[in-house]
Amino acid sequence: MSNSMVSAKSPSKGLAKRKKTIVLLSMLAPGAIWLVLLRYLPMFGIVIAFQKFTIYTKAPTLLNNIIHSKWVGFKNFEFLFATSDSWNMIRNTVGYNALWIVLGTVIAVAFAIMLSLITKKFVAKTYQTLMFFPYFLSWVVASYFLMAFLDPTYGLISHLQKQAGMEVTQWYFINKPWPIILTIAYLWKNIGYSTVLYLAAITGIDSSQYEAASIDGASKWQQIRYITIPHLKPMIIILFIMSVGRIINSDFGLFYQVPKNSGPLFPTTQVMDTYVYRAFMATNNPGMSTAASLLQNVVGFFCVLTANSIVRKIDEESSLF
Amino acid sequence: MKSDTVKFVLAKRKSRMNSIGLPAEVVINIILGLFCLLCVVPFIFVVIISFSAEDSIREIGYSFRPIKWSLEAYKFAFTSNKGIWRSYFNSFFITILGTALSVLICVLYSYPLFRKDFKYRKFFTFFCFFTMLFGGGLVPTYYVSKNILGLNDNYAALIVPALFNPFNIIVMRTFFQSSVPTELIEAAAIDGSGEYNTLFKIIVPIAKPGIATIALLNALAYWNEWYLAMLYIRTEELYPLQYLLMRSQQNIDFLTRNATMLGSEIAKIVNDLPQQNLRMALAVLIVVPIAFAYPFFQRFIISGLTVGSVKG
Amino acid sequence: MKKKVLSIVLTIMTLTVLLTGCGKTKDKETTDTKTSSNNVTDTPSTDGKDPAQTEEANIDISEPVTLTWFLNGNSVSDDKAVLEKANEYLKEKLNVTLKPIWGTWGNFEDNVVLSISGGDDVDIYFTSSWTQNEYNKYAKDGAWLRLDREDNNLIEKYAPDAWNMLPDILKNSAKVPGSDGEGVYALPGFKDYATQNCWDVNVTLLEKYGYTIDDIRNTDYYGFEEILKKVKEGEGKDFYPLLVEGMVLERMVNNSIMVTGDSQACNMLSYYINPTDVSKEGSYGNKIFGKFETPEYKKFVEKTREYYLAGYIDPQMAIADQANDARTAAQDAGKYLIGTQSYSLGYETQASARRGIEVQMVPCTPAYVDTTASQGAMMAISATSKNPERALMFLNLLNTDPELMTLLNFGIEGTHYEVVNGGEVKFITEARGTYQPWTNGMGNVTILPPQEGQGLNFYDTFKEYYASATAIPINGFVFDQSNVETEMAALANVGGEYALALNTGAIDPATKLPEFIQKLKDNGIDKVVDEASTQLEKFLEEKNK
Repeated sequence: MSNSMVSAKSPSKGLAKRKKTIVLLSMLAPGAIWLVLLRYLPMFGIVIAFQKFTIYTKAPTLLNNIIHSKWVGFKNFEFLFATSDSWNMIRNTVGYNALWIVLGTVIAVAFAIMLSLITKKFVAKTYQTLMFFPYFLSWVVASYFLMAFLDPTYGLISHLQKQAGMEVTQWYFINKPWPIILTIAYLWKNIGYSTVLYLAAITGIDSSQYEAASIDGASKWQQIRYITIPHLKPMIIILFIMSVGRIINSDFGLFYQVPKNSGPLFPTTQVMDTYVYRAFMATNNPGMSTAASLLQNVVGFFCVLTANSIVRKIDEESSLF
Repeated sequence: MKSDTVKFVLAKRKSRMNSIGLPAEVVINIILGLFCLLCVVPFIFVVIISFSAEDSIREIGYSFRPIKWSLEAYKFAFTSNKGIWRSYFNSFFITILGTALSVLICVLYSYPLFRKDFKYRKFFTFFCFFTMLFGGGLVPTYYVSKNILGLNDNYAALIVPALFNPFNIIVMRTFFQSSVPTELIEAAAIDGSGEYNTLFKIIVPIAKPGIATIALLNALAYWNEWYLAMLYIRTEELYPLQYLLMRSQQNIDFLTRNATMLGSEIAKIVNDLPQQNLRMALAVLIVVPIAFAYPFFQRFIISGLTVGSVKG
Repeated sequence: MKKKVLSIVLTIMTLTVLLTGCGKTKDKETTDTKTSSNNVTDTPSTDGKDPAQTEEANIDISEPVTLTWFLNGNSVSDDKAVLEKANEYLKEKLNVTLKPIWGTWGNFEDNVVLSISGGDDVDIYFTSSWTQNEYNKYAKDGAWLRLDREDNNLIEKYAPDAWNMLPDILKNSAKVPGSDGEGVYALPGFKDYATQNCWDVNVTLLEKYGYTIDDIRNTDYYGFEEILKKVKEGEGKDFYPLLVEGMVLERMVNNSIMVTGDSQACNMLSYYINPTDVSKEGSYGNKIFGKFETPEYKKFVEKTREYYLAGYIDPQMAIADQANDARTAAQDAGKYLIGTQSYSLGYETQASARRGIEVQMVPCTPAYVDTTASQGAMMAISATSKNPERALMFLNLLNTDPELMTLLNFGIEGTHYEVVNGGEVKFITEARGTYQPWTNGMGNVTILPPQEGQGLNFYDTFKEYYASATAIPINGFVFDQSNVETEMAALANVGGEYALALNTGAIDPATKLPEFIQKLKDNGIDKVVDEASTQLEKFLEEKNK
């Protein structure tokens, strides 16, 4: 599988190979150490998901607290399935994610290609910079902005409706428009980010390929089809696989702050993260929130494994591992 | 020392043919222009609100055309946040140092993952990817960082926890895959170039767009970071700008959530809360530096990479 | 291919080993400590935390001690001058150096939970019935030291003065069941501890339409219609005369109260108080039940819906995260006729000045004391504290020494404030901006000098007003939800979906109320109510013994 690149010429092949491995390992070292210390070491905390977490009064260090907490099995997971709204919540979480993975990819790739085609580099740079603006604004600020349009008394839309003699829409109490509003909000905030990633991938393409193609008489559209997109494929696939890993996670701010935590909108805005947050506020049990994220991770993990193995069957090069 | 192959590959990347028809370009400009408008308008809106008089907001709510303008919010923001200049410095310091270190670590970690001849490639890919999904949760991470690693009330606490981002590693690996031809490494190896030499003198220049992008994303992440400050920083002199300004926002969030709980208490507290124009002013103060620094960051990072690599 | 599988398997294996490894040691140590903790209960002095045991009355303070103190709700950016002065004073009195952590409203919740769970070195925590480090829950979970153990009564030894000056109501409600038996786990702060829900009336506007405050006094929520209608017609379409906090409105109209322990979850359980004599049982007796099924609730939401449809209530009041902003804005602009307000002494003077209108309060009930209010601000000694005695001695001094309290709360005279009108405090805006702790969050406010405009005898009136407040029959009761957490989690979400919208009239009760009730039932409200009722019965039995 791992094809040796150091060719057979060298007499001390094994030694060179080992040396190379060691050098490459030394490159990994800083990152690997960081991972061990800041990610793997704290993982002992996962056990809290199976505990009724309490404080060990005699010597209350975290380790003692965990050691002396009672084991409760899967009880902390129950609340995720105990609600009559489980189905609704899962449908929202997975549904929005699935839709957005597809839409996000298509639009970002399209935008990146468009940007790469613009002849005036300055214009392209400007677009690219402006696209990043939403990324700087927090969801809270975005929610104020939305409110300026949708507010039933002073909002721009309500104002127009009043002028036209129409009945004012109570945006924050009716569910129908929210899947669309949330989708737009999501794309608005995230497209800039992934566009930049794809654009960088396009910029990295060896330009001689385009030259050769245009000498052969390929049109620009053919070049996109046969050079750009195939080159983007690894990036598309990798980003896809990684987003599949977060299929039941969601951007809390988008679902909580943008709809202003409005109760009547729960049917379209309740996702697992908001449900867990509201539950946590009521119960204040760290075991429950740990359990919820563990569940999300495990599900995400298996989704990634599945996606990855499918990808590997089709195109081994592009797979994650 | 570079072989001819290497020189050839590098030379080939200089120019790029780029010509599409005029109508197509117009269409593209319209689409992207509209989207950019959608991105910028909310920002302009925020700026307008921040300059609106509080009376105006009370009277007609948020509006693009306030009845009265006012500088009050900014005056207040600067007088009530004495440390604001110090925080600007902190933010720039953290962003620059953090970005430099994190990009270095990212390149160093992702490069071996891209090398197909690296024995433990799959293991370390997985080792990194696994942490993207699984983590110990907030309490244990806090405990380890603070008590074992000493990330407590110092600059390190603001930099170290964000040094490594598994997502970026995977993306960087993909950048390498799509832009670095394998022959190049082979050729370099034949030339007797050491691994580090190959990486920094040959690979990095080629993968420049990718590295610059990662650097940019890291810079933004560092600039936007406030949660770490909230968890680990107790000394106001160390506050990054984001957190200094974010605190007011958080206070509002809390009081909103507990409005019915606090009862009589809230009536008194609310008097001290920033008004709505102030919140927007804070948002502007956070965004403006980075939004305007963004193009400079971009140029700086790219030129920095160029300087560091091509010579020799 | 093989390697991939191998590496995955390897990682998983490492993890499992790690986890099960932890598990094993845990089991072992749990049994170990079980035996040892038994020993400890028998002879408490063995854990080394009670050096005073031997010293009896003579308290040894020769060892210098640093106390970390975690407070809430502050806005402090420069405490150097104050701390320097305070520490000089404390050094002399108690040989103590103070290290406060000035938590803010926004960061307290997250940080305090981390700090407690992670076992940070903190000696004193602010706690209450409404913060994330909820007094009762954390007492039960073992985060606080019990202060009144029979064999080692820390309060009696180290903080008798601070304890004795407290009103009995506060003392009694501090007694809760905790990890170390039923007792006191925190020192209550003497602040406004009564609840009195009032109609907050814009008299200026009311009189403009030819009414007087008596017209409000002589009727109730159901009789406001005529006044609201007239004012709405006069003030125009964008004016909403009824300025309500949905959850508070419901409590005011129906005389229901929050049951502590259920407060964050939309307040699903209810206890009804007696609106004329709060110390007596209400119309439903001493019982807890789900309020949403009562005829009172139905009547209330139907009327509210009418008001809403007539345009008396701003739809923004039904949007959870917008309501507070909108309400404050309307209040400050004086753009309302009748509002809901949980009263604290002096509110109307403050509000009138701020809003530029005449504000008067029309109470719905006499002032009463319930658990939530009486556990509003407390100081707990952390189980991590290495010097609990000195921490208590500090709290004792703080709550009884006007000089120290004023210094820590208001800052330095001449720098942060000046004394005017022969004893009132006037803040120097700029310096006060950098040092502004939350006054009520620190402790005994009655030893502070009054603030400008409050009048020199403010705290006499204050004590009088709060002394007149009576405890409701179930004061001190805290709902322990640990047996029904799963249900509470689900119900909190159901409550979030319907309660506020119904309480403000934004959704139609004809269809939504039955839907709401059904959903509550589906998610186990009955189980929760049963649990709460059982607990309350037990509580009352104990109390009447």
